[in-house]
Amino acid sequence: MSNKEQLYQERLNRYMTAMDCGKPDKVPVCFGIGEWAIKYTDYTFQEVFYDSEKANRIVEDMLPDFDVDIFSGGPTLWWPPMFDVMGSKLYKFPGIGLEEDNTFQYNEEEYMKAEDYDDFIANPTEWLVKNFLPRISAEFAEPGSYRATIALIKSSAAFAMFGAAAGAAAQRWAVEYGMVGQFTGFTKAPFDTLGDALRAMKGILTDLRRRPDKVLAACEAIVPHNIYGGIAGPGADTRFPCFAPLHRGAYPFLNPEQWDKFYWPTLKAVIEGLWAKGKRMFFFAEGNWTPYLEKIAELPEKSIVFDIDTTDAKKAREILGGKFCLQGGIPTTLLTYGTPEKVKEHVKRTIDELAGDGGFILAPGGVLMGDAKKENILAAIEAAREYGVY
Amino acid sequence: MSEKETTFVPDAGKCVPWEVKLKELGKLPGNEEIVKKNWENLDEFAYNFIWFWVQR
Repeated sequence: MSNKEQLYQERLNRYMTAMDCGKPDKVPVCFGIGEWAIKYTDYTFQEVFYDSEKANRIVEDMLPDFDVDIFSGGPTLWWPPMFDVMGSKLYKFPGIGLEEDNTFQYNEEEYMKAEDYDDFIANPTEWLVKNFLPRISAEFAEPGSYRATIALIKSSAAFAMFGAAAGAAAQRWAVEYGMVGQFTGFTKAPFDTLGDALRAMKGILTDLRRRPDKVLAACEAIVPHNIYGGIAGPGADTRFPCFAPLHRGAYPFLNPEQWDKFYWPTLKAVIEGLWAKGKRMFFFAEGNWTPYLEKIAELPEKSIVFDIDTTDAKKAREILGGKFCLQGGIPTTLLTYGTPEKVKEHVKRTIDELAGDGGFILAPGGVLMGDAKKENILAAIEAAREYGVY
Repeated sequence: MSEKETTFVPDAGKCVPWEVKLKELGKLPGNEEIVKKNWENLDEFAYNFIWFWVQR
Protein backbone atom coordinates (compact mmCIF):
# COMPACT_ATOMS: atom_id res chain seq x y z
CA MET A 1 0.00 0.00 0.00
CA SER A 2 1.45 3.39 -1.00
CA ASN A 3 1.67 6.31 1.41
CA LYS A 4 -1.23 8.01 -0.35
CA GLU A 5 -3.37 4.86 -0.19
CA GLN A 6 -2.63 4.58 3.50
CA LEU A 7 -3.44 8.24 4.02
CA TYR A 8 -6.72 7.77 2.13
CA GLN A 9 -7.64 4.80 4.32
CA GLU A 10 -6.84 6.68 7.53
CA ARG A 11 -8.96 9.61 6.50
CA LEU A 12 -11.77 7.39 5.23
CA ASN A 13 -11.81 5.45 8.52
CA ARG A 14 -11.97 8.72 10.45
CA TYR A 15 -14.93 9.87 8.34
CA MET A 16 -16.82 6.57 8.49
CA THR A 17 -16.28 6.21 12.23
CA ALA A 18 -17.58 9.71 12.93
CA MET A 19 -20.63 9.21 10.71
CA ASP A 20 -21.47 6.10 12.72
CA CYS A 21 -21.22 8.24 15.89
CA GLY A 22 -17.98 6.58 16.90
CA LYS A 23 -14.74 8.09 18.19
CA PRO A 24 -11.87 8.04 15.67
CA ASP A 25 -8.23 8.78 16.53
CA LYS A 26 -8.72 12.46 15.60
CA VAL A 27 -11.62 14.81 15.04
CA PRO A 28 -12.21 14.60 11.28
CA VAL A 29 -11.80 17.90 9.47
CA CYS A 30 -13.80 18.86 6.38
CA PHE A 31 -13.06 21.79 4.10
CA GLY A 32 -13.17 22.54 0.41
CA ILE A 33 -11.07 24.79 -1.79
CA GLY A 34 -13.91 27.03 -2.82
CA GLU A 35 -14.36 30.37 -4.51
CA TRP A 36 -12.22 32.01 -1.84
CA ALA A 37 -9.13 30.42 -3.41
CA ILE A 38 -9.60 32.20 -6.74
CA LYS A 39 -8.49 35.57 -5.43
CA TYR A 40 -5.10 34.09 -4.49
CA THR A 41 -4.41 33.29 -8.17
CA ASP A 42 -4.02 35.35 -11.34
CA TYR A 43 -7.22 33.90 -12.77
CA THR A 44 -10.52 35.74 -13.08
CA PHE A 45 -13.71 34.11 -11.81
CA GLN A 46 -14.79 33.77 -15.42
CA GLU A 47 -11.64 31.86 -16.37
CA VAL A 48 -12.08 29.45 -13.46
CA PHE A 49 -15.80 28.93 -13.99
CA TYR A 50 -15.38 28.24 -17.71
CA ASP A 51 -12.14 26.25 -17.67
CA SER A 52 -12.26 23.23 -15.37
CA GLU A 53 -8.53 22.66 -15.91
CA LYS A 54 -7.83 26.01 -14.28
CA ALA A 55 -10.24 25.19 -11.45
CA ASN A 56 -8.52 21.84 -10.92
CA ARG A 57 -5.09 23.49 -11.02
CA ILE A 58 -6.09 25.75 -8.12
CA VAL A 59 -7.14 22.71 -6.12
CA GLU A 60 -4.04 20.70 -6.96
CA ASP A 61 -1.70 23.58 -6.14
CA MET A 62 -3.17 23.71 -2.62
CA LEU A 63 -3.95 20.08 -1.82
CA PRO A 64 -0.41 19.01 -0.81
CA ASP A 65 -0.57 21.40 2.18
CA PHE A 66 -4.30 21.06 2.81
CA ASP A 67 -4.40 18.62 5.72
CA VAL A 68 -8.10 17.78 5.86
CA ASP A 69 -9.77 14.37 6.07
CA ILE A 70 -12.82 15.12 3.98
CA PHE A 71 -12.77 17.31 0.88
CA SER A 72 -15.96 19.17 0.07
CA GLY A 73 -15.02 20.26 -3.43
CA GLY A 74 -13.37 22.80 -5.71
CA PRO A 75 -14.10 26.42 -6.62
CA THR A 76 -17.02 25.92 -9.01
CA LEU A 77 -20.39 24.24 -8.69
CA TRP A 78 -21.40 24.43 -12.34
CA TRP A 79 -19.92 24.66 -15.81
CA PRO A 80 -21.54 27.72 -17.45
CA PRO A 81 -21.21 26.46 -21.06
CA MET A 82 -23.87 23.85 -20.29
CA PHE A 83 -26.21 26.71 -19.40
CA ASP A 84 -25.06 29.05 -22.19
CA VAL A 85 -25.91 26.60 -24.98
CA MET A 86 -29.48 26.33 -23.66
CA GLY A 87 -29.79 30.10 -23.31
CA SER A 88 -30.55 29.36 -19.67
CA LYS A 89 -32.30 32.08 -17.69
CA LEU A 90 -31.59 30.42 -14.34
CA TYR A 91 -28.21 32.01 -13.63
CA LYS A 92 -25.97 34.89 -14.45
CA PHE A 93 -22.35 33.81 -14.57
CA PRO A 94 -19.10 35.77 -14.43
CA GLY A 95 -18.35 37.24 -17.84
CA ILE A 96 -21.89 36.70 -19.18
CA GLY A 97 -24.48 38.77 -17.39
CA LEU A 98 -21.98 39.74 -14.68
CA GLU A 99 -18.51 41.25 -14.53
CA GLU A 100 -15.71 38.71 -14.97
CA ASP A 101 -14.68 38.75 -11.30
CA ASN A 102 -18.12 38.21 -9.77
CA THR A 103 -19.54 34.94 -8.57
CA PHE A 104 -22.73 33.52 -10.11
CA GLN A 105 -26.20 34.83 -9.36
CA TYR A 106 -29.51 32.98 -9.44
CA ASN A 107 -32.47 34.59 -11.23
CA GLU A 108 -35.45 33.58 -9.15
CA GLU A 109 -38.73 33.58 -11.12
CA GLU A 110 -42.02 31.69 -11.05
CA TYR A 111 -41.00 29.30 -13.82
CA MET A 112 -43.98 27.13 -12.81
CA LYS A 113 -47.32 28.96 -12.68
CA ALA A 114 -50.06 28.37 -10.12
CA GLU A 115 -52.27 26.84 -12.82
CA ASP A 116 -49.57 24.24 -13.62
CA TYR A 117 -49.92 22.30 -10.37
CA ASP A 118 -52.29 19.60 -11.65
CA ASP A 119 -50.21 18.79 -14.72
CA PHE A 120 -46.99 18.75 -12.71
CA ILE A 121 -48.48 16.46 -10.07
CA ALA A 122 -49.86 14.07 -12.71
CA ASN A 123 -46.53 13.56 -14.49
CA PRO A 124 -43.59 15.56 -13.09
CA THR A 125 -40.88 14.43 -15.52
CA GLU A 126 -43.02 15.03 -18.61
CA TRP A 127 -44.11 18.42 -17.25
CA LEU A 128 -40.49 19.45 -16.76
CA VAL A 129 -39.60 18.50 -20.35
CA LYS A 130 -42.61 20.13 -21.97
CA ASN A 131 -42.97 23.24 -19.82
CA PHE A 132 -40.09 23.97 -17.46
CA LEU A 133 -37.16 23.47 -19.85
CA PRO A 134 -38.68 25.68 -22.59
CA ARG A 135 -39.47 28.42 -20.06
CA ILE A 136 -36.00 28.54 -18.55
CA SER A 137 -34.12 28.18 -21.85
CA ALA A 138 -34.16 30.81 -24.61
CA GLU A 139 -32.55 28.38 -27.07
CA PHE A 140 -35.05 25.63 -26.16
CA ALA A 141 -38.12 27.86 -26.17
CA GLU A 142 -39.63 26.05 -29.17
CA PRO A 143 -39.05 22.30 -28.71
CA GLY A 144 -38.70 20.55 -32.05
CA SER A 145 -37.23 23.61 -33.76
CA TYR A 146 -33.72 23.58 -35.23
CA ARG A 147 -32.31 25.81 -32.51
CA ALA A 148 -33.95 23.83 -29.71
CA THR A 149 -32.74 20.47 -31.04
CA ILE A 150 -29.18 21.72 -31.39
CA ALA A 151 -29.30 23.27 -27.92
CA LEU A 152 -30.47 20.02 -26.35
CA ILE A 153 -27.73 18.02 -28.08
CA LYS A 154 -25.05 20.47 -26.92
CA SER A 155 -26.27 20.76 -23.36
CA SER A 156 -26.73 17.03 -22.75
CA ALA A 157 -23.22 16.50 -24.14
CA ALA A 158 -21.92 19.18 -21.76
CA PHE A 159 -23.71 17.48 -18.85
CA ALA A 160 -21.93 14.22 -19.64
CA MET A 161 -18.57 15.94 -20.20
CA PHE A 162 -18.71 17.88 -16.94
CA GLY A 163 -19.80 14.84 -14.96
CA ALA A 164 -16.99 12.73 -16.40
CA ALA A 165 -14.40 15.46 -15.74
CA ALA A 166 -15.57 15.93 -12.16
CA GLY A 167 -15.46 12.19 -11.52
CA ALA A 168 -11.97 11.91 -12.99
CA ALA A 169 -10.72 14.82 -10.87
CA ALA A 170 -12.14 13.32 -7.67
CA GLN A 171 -10.50 10.00 -8.50
CA ARG A 172 -7.15 11.72 -9.14
CA TRP A 173 -7.33 13.63 -5.86
CA ALA A 174 -8.01 10.37 -4.03
CA VAL A 175 -5.08 8.55 -5.65
CA GLU A 176 -2.49 11.34 -5.76
CA TYR A 177 -3.35 13.21 -2.56
CA GLY A 178 -5.19 10.64 -0.45
CA MET A 179 -8.21 12.93 -0.38
CA VAL A 180 -11.64 11.57 0.57
CA GLY A 181 -14.66 13.16 -1.10
CA GLN A 182 -17.47 14.33 1.17
CA PHE A 183 -20.53 12.97 -0.63
CA THR A 184 -21.97 11.18 -3.62
CA GLY A 185 -25.43 11.94 -4.95
CA PHE A 186 -27.60 15.03 -4.62
CA THR A 187 -31.08 15.60 -3.34
CA LYS A 188 -33.30 18.19 -1.68
CA ALA A 189 -36.37 18.57 0.47
CA PRO A 190 -39.40 18.27 -1.84
CA PHE A 191 -40.66 21.62 -0.57
CA ASP A 192 -37.35 23.18 -1.67
CA THR A 193 -37.52 21.54 -5.10
CA LEU A 194 -40.95 23.14 -5.47
CA GLY A 195 -40.14 26.42 -3.75
CA ASP A 196 -36.69 27.15 -5.17
CA ALA A 197 -36.68 26.68 -8.93
CA LEU A 198 -40.36 26.07 -9.73
CA ARG A 199 -42.65 28.40 -7.75
CA ALA A 200 -39.98 30.71 -6.23
CA MET A 201 -40.27 32.41 -2.84
CA LYS A 202 -43.24 34.68 -3.58
CA GLY A 203 -45.15 31.94 -5.38
CA ILE A 204 -44.69 29.23 -2.77
CA LEU A 205 -45.55 31.51 0.15
CA THR A 206 -48.72 32.62 -1.63
CA ASP A 207 -49.59 28.99 -2.37
CA LEU A 208 -49.43 28.07 1.32
CA ARG A 209 -52.57 30.18 1.83
CA ARG A 210 -54.34 29.96 -1.52
CA ARG A 211 -53.75 26.36 -2.58
CA PRO A 212 -52.25 24.40 0.34
CA ASP A 213 -53.58 21.05 -0.91
CA LYS A 214 -51.77 21.53 -4.20
CA VAL A 215 -48.51 22.26 -2.39
CA LEU A 216 -48.87 19.09 -0.35
CA ALA A 217 -49.73 16.99 -3.39
CA ALA A 218 -46.82 18.40 -5.38
CA CYS A 219 -44.38 17.68 -2.54
CA GLU A 220 -45.71 14.11 -2.37
CA ALA A 221 -45.19 13.74 -6.13
CA ILE A 222 -41.57 14.88 -5.78
CA VAL A 223 -40.66 12.43 -2.98
CA PRO A 224 -39.74 9.40 -5.16
CA HIS A 225 -37.69 11.62 -7.47
CA ASN A 226 -35.72 13.06 -4.58
CA ILE A 227 -35.08 9.60 -3.16
CA TYR A 228 -33.85 8.56 -6.58
CA GLY A 229 -31.64 11.64 -6.92
CA GLY A 230 -29.74 10.77 -3.76
CA ILE A 231 -28.70 7.38 -5.06
CA ALA A 232 -28.56 7.94 -8.83
CA GLY A 233 -25.27 7.41 -10.64
CA PRO A 234 -22.25 7.90 -8.39
CA GLY A 235 -24.68 8.30 -5.48
CA ALA A 236 -25.04 4.53 -5.49
CA ASP A 237 -21.90 4.37 -3.32
CA THR A 238 -23.70 4.13 0.01
CA ARG A 239 -20.56 4.63 2.09
CA PHE A 240 -20.89 8.37 1.51
CA PRO A 241 -23.88 10.60 2.28
CA CYS A 242 -25.75 12.42 -0.47
CA PHE A 243 -25.68 16.18 -0.37
CA ALA A 244 -28.95 17.92 0.51
CA PRO A 245 -28.84 21.74 0.60
CA LEU A 246 -31.88 22.68 2.67
CA HIS A 247 -33.25 26.15 2.13
CA ARG A 248 -36.79 27.17 3.10
CA GLY A 249 -36.79 24.88 6.13
CA ALA A 250 -34.53 27.22 8.10
CA TYR A 251 -36.26 29.24 10.81
CA PRO A 252 -38.11 31.56 10.24
CA PHE A 253 -38.79 31.20 6.50
CA LEU A 254 -41.86 29.21 7.60
CA ASN A 255 -43.58 29.40 10.94
CA PRO A 256 -43.40 26.15 12.98
CA GLU A 257 -46.96 25.17 12.09
CA GLN A 258 -46.23 25.56 8.37
CA TRP A 259 -42.94 23.70 8.80
CA ASP A 260 -44.73 20.77 10.45
CA LYS A 261 -47.36 20.62 7.76
CA PHE A 262 -45.58 21.52 4.53
CA TYR A 263 -41.82 21.06 4.93
CA TRP A 264 -41.07 18.23 7.28
CA PRO A 265 -43.30 15.25 6.29
CA THR A 266 -41.93 14.88 2.77
CA LEU A 267 -38.32 15.67 3.74
CA LYS A 268 -38.65 12.96 6.39
CA ALA A 269 -40.06 10.60 3.75
CA VAL A 270 -37.05 11.26 1.50
CA ILE A 271 -34.61 10.63 4.36
CA GLU A 272 -36.38 7.43 5.39
CA GLY A 273 -36.58 6.29 1.77
CA LEU A 274 -32.87 6.83 1.30
CA TRP A 275 -32.01 5.16 4.59
CA ALA A 276 -34.07 2.11 3.59
CA LYS A 277 -31.63 1.79 0.68
CA GLY A 278 -28.63 2.26 2.99
CA LYS A 279 -28.00 5.86 1.94
CA ARG A 280 -27.36 8.59 4.48
CA MET A 281 -28.14 12.27 3.89
CA PHE A 282 -25.80 15.18 4.60
CA PHE A 283 -28.49 17.40 6.14
CA PHE A 284 -27.03 20.75 5.12
CA ALA A 285 -29.07 22.85 7.53
CA GLU A 286 -28.00 26.31 6.41
CA GLY A 287 -29.25 28.98 8.80
CA ASN A 288 -31.01 28.29 12.08
CA TRP A 289 -32.86 25.00 12.67
CA THR A 290 -32.95 25.15 16.49
CA PRO A 291 -36.79 25.08 16.80
CA TYR A 292 -36.93 21.84 14.83
CA LEU A 293 -34.27 19.75 16.56
CA GLU A 294 -36.78 17.62 18.49
CA LYS A 295 -38.55 16.68 15.26
CA ILE A 296 -35.29 15.90 13.51
CA ALA A 297 -34.37 13.63 16.41
CA GLU A 298 -37.26 11.37 15.39
CA LEU A 299 -35.37 10.23 12.28
CA PRO A 300 -33.77 6.77 12.20
CA GLU A 301 -30.46 6.76 14.04
CA LYS A 302 -27.44 7.63 11.87
CA SER A 303 -29.63 8.35 8.83
CA ILE A 304 -28.27 11.89 8.54
CA VAL A 305 -25.15 13.93 9.19
CA PHE A 306 -26.54 17.13 10.70
CA ASP A 307 -24.80 20.35 9.73
CA ILE A 308 -24.60 23.10 12.33
CA ASP A 309 -24.61 26.55 10.75
CA THR A 310 -26.37 29.11 12.99
CA THR A 311 -28.37 26.43 14.83
CA ASP A 312 -27.69 26.51 18.60
CA ALA A 313 -24.71 24.12 18.74
CA LYS A 314 -25.13 23.14 22.39
CA LYS A 315 -28.80 22.28 21.88
CA ALA A 316 -27.94 20.37 18.72
CA ARG A 317 -25.44 18.27 20.67
CA GLU A 318 -27.86 17.77 23.55
CA ILE A 319 -30.77 16.70 21.34
CA LEU A 320 -29.09 15.06 18.34
CA GLY A 321 -25.68 14.06 19.69
CA GLY A 322 -24.99 10.33 19.90
CA LYS A 323 -27.87 9.63 17.56
CA PHE A 324 -26.50 11.45 14.53
CA CYS A 325 -23.08 12.65 13.51
CA LEU A 326 -22.84 16.43 13.86
CA GLN A 327 -20.80 18.53 11.48
CA GLY A 328 -19.80 22.19 11.39
CA GLY A 329 -19.04 24.48 14.29
CA ILE A 330 -17.04 27.16 12.49
CA PRO A 331 -19.08 30.23 11.47
CA THR A 332 -18.42 31.31 7.90
CA THR A 333 -18.44 34.93 9.07
CA LEU A 334 -15.50 34.19 11.36
CA LEU A 335 -13.52 32.81 8.43
CA THR A 336 -14.23 36.01 6.50
CA TYR A 337 -14.01 38.73 9.14
CA GLY A 338 -11.95 37.08 11.89
CA THR A 339 -8.23 36.71 12.42
CA PRO A 340 -6.15 33.52 12.61
CA GLU A 341 -5.89 33.95 16.39
CA LYS A 342 -9.66 34.30 16.83
CA VAL A 343 -10.25 31.34 14.53
CA LYS A 344 -7.86 29.13 16.53
CA GLU A 345 -9.54 30.09 19.81
CA HIS A 346 -12.93 29.28 18.33
CA VAL A 347 -11.81 25.91 16.94
CA LYS A 348 -10.41 24.91 20.34
CA ARG A 349 -13.65 25.91 22.07
CA THR A 350 -15.76 24.10 19.45
CA ILE A 351 -13.80 20.88 19.83
CA ASP A 352 -14.09 21.13 23.63
CA GLU A 353 -17.85 21.64 23.42
CA LEU A 354 -18.87 19.42 20.53
CA ALA A 355 -16.31 16.72 19.81
CA GLY A 356 -17.02 14.82 23.04
CA ASP A 357 -16.86 11.08 22.53
CA GLY A 358 -16.94 11.25 18.77
CA GLY A 359 -19.68 11.60 16.19
CA PHE A 360 -18.43 15.03 15.21
CA ILE A 361 -16.77 16.50 12.11
CA LEU A 362 -15.21 19.95 12.29
CA ALA A 363 -16.16 22.10 9.30
CA PRO A 364 -17.48 25.50 8.30
CA GLY A 365 -21.19 25.66 9.05
CA GLY A 366 -22.19 27.09 5.67
CA VAL A 367 -20.83 27.74 2.20
CA LEU A 368 -17.52 29.59 2.14
CA MET A 369 -17.86 32.32 -0.44
CA GLY A 370 -15.24 34.34 -2.27
CA ASP A 371 -14.56 36.66 0.65
CA ALA A 372 -13.26 34.00 3.10
CA LYS A 373 -9.60 34.45 4.00
CA LYS A 374 -7.05 31.78 3.24
CA GLU A 375 -5.05 32.49 6.40
CA ASN A 376 -8.17 31.92 8.51
CA ILE A 377 -8.98 28.63 6.81
CA LEU A 378 -5.42 27.36 7.22
CA ALA A 379 -5.47 28.49 10.87
CA ALA A 380 -8.69 26.50 11.44
CA ILE A 381 -7.14 23.35 9.97
CA GLU A 382 -3.93 23.83 11.98
CA ALA A 383 -5.89 24.30 15.22
CA ALA A 384 -8.06 21.29 14.42
CA ARG A 385 -4.96 19.12 14.20
CA GLU A 386 -3.48 20.61 17.37
CA TYR A 387 -6.58 20.29 19.56
CA GLY A 388 -8.53 17.58 17.74
CA VAL A 389 -6.73 14.47 19.02
CA TYR A 390 -8.89 12.10 21.07
CA MET B 1 -45.68 10.59 -31.13
CA SER B 2 -47.33 13.06 -28.74
CA GLU B 3 -50.15 10.56 -28.04
CA LYS B 4 -47.57 7.95 -27.05
CA GLU B 5 -45.93 10.35 -24.65
CA THR B 6 -49.14 10.85 -22.68
CA THR B 7 -49.98 7.18 -22.25
CA PHE B 8 -47.61 6.50 -19.37
CA VAL B 9 -46.25 8.16 -16.26
CA PRO B 10 -42.59 7.21 -15.84
CA ASP B 11 -41.34 6.25 -12.40
CA ALA B 12 -38.47 8.13 -10.80
CA GLY B 13 -35.28 7.41 -12.71
CA LYS B 14 -37.06 6.77 -16.01
CA CYS B 15 -38.23 8.81 -18.97
CA VAL B 16 -39.45 6.18 -21.42
CA PRO B 17 -39.66 2.84 -19.59
CA TRP B 18 -38.25 -0.17 -21.40
CA GLU B 19 -41.62 -1.92 -21.13
CA VAL B 20 -43.20 0.85 -23.20
CA LYS B 21 -40.48 0.66 -25.84
CA LEU B 22 -40.56 -3.13 -25.99
CA LYS B 23 -44.25 -3.10 -26.84
CA GLU B 24 -43.46 -0.82 -29.76
CA LEU B 25 -40.55 -2.95 -30.92
CA GLY B 26 -42.30 -6.29 -30.61
CA LYS B 27 -40.35 -9.51 -30.18
CA LEU B 28 -36.62 -9.03 -30.64
CA PRO B 29 -34.65 -11.59 -32.65
CA GLY B 30 -31.57 -11.22 -30.44
CA ASN B 31 -30.75 -10.89 -26.75
CA GLU B 32 -33.32 -8.56 -25.22
CA GLU B 33 -31.31 -8.01 -22.04
CA ILE B 34 -28.43 -6.36 -23.93
CA VAL B 35 -30.78 -3.90 -25.59
CA LYS B 36 -32.73 -3.31 -22.38
CA LYS B 37 -29.64 -2.62 -20.25
CA ASN B 38 -28.31 0.02 -22.61
CA TRP B 39 -31.74 1.57 -23.15
CA GLU B 40 -32.17 1.94 -19.40
CA ASN B 41 -28.68 3.36 -18.86
CA LEU B 42 -29.26 6.11 -21.40
CA ASP B 43 -32.82 6.64 -20.19
CA GLU B 44 -31.46 7.24 -16.70
CA PHE B 45 -28.93 9.70 -18.12
CA ALA B 46 -31.79 11.63 -19.77
CA TYR B 47 -33.73 11.57 -16.50
CA ASN B 48 -30.78 12.94 -14.54
CA PHE B 49 -30.25 15.65 -17.16
CA ILE B 50 -33.90 16.76 -16.96
CA TRP B 51 -34.02 16.84 -13.14
CA PHE B 52 -30.64 18.55 -12.91
CA TRP B 53 -32.27 21.77 -14.08
CA VAL B 54 -34.84 21.86 -11.31
CA GLN B 55 -32.63 20.66 -8.46
CA ARG B 56 -30.58 23.81 -8.18
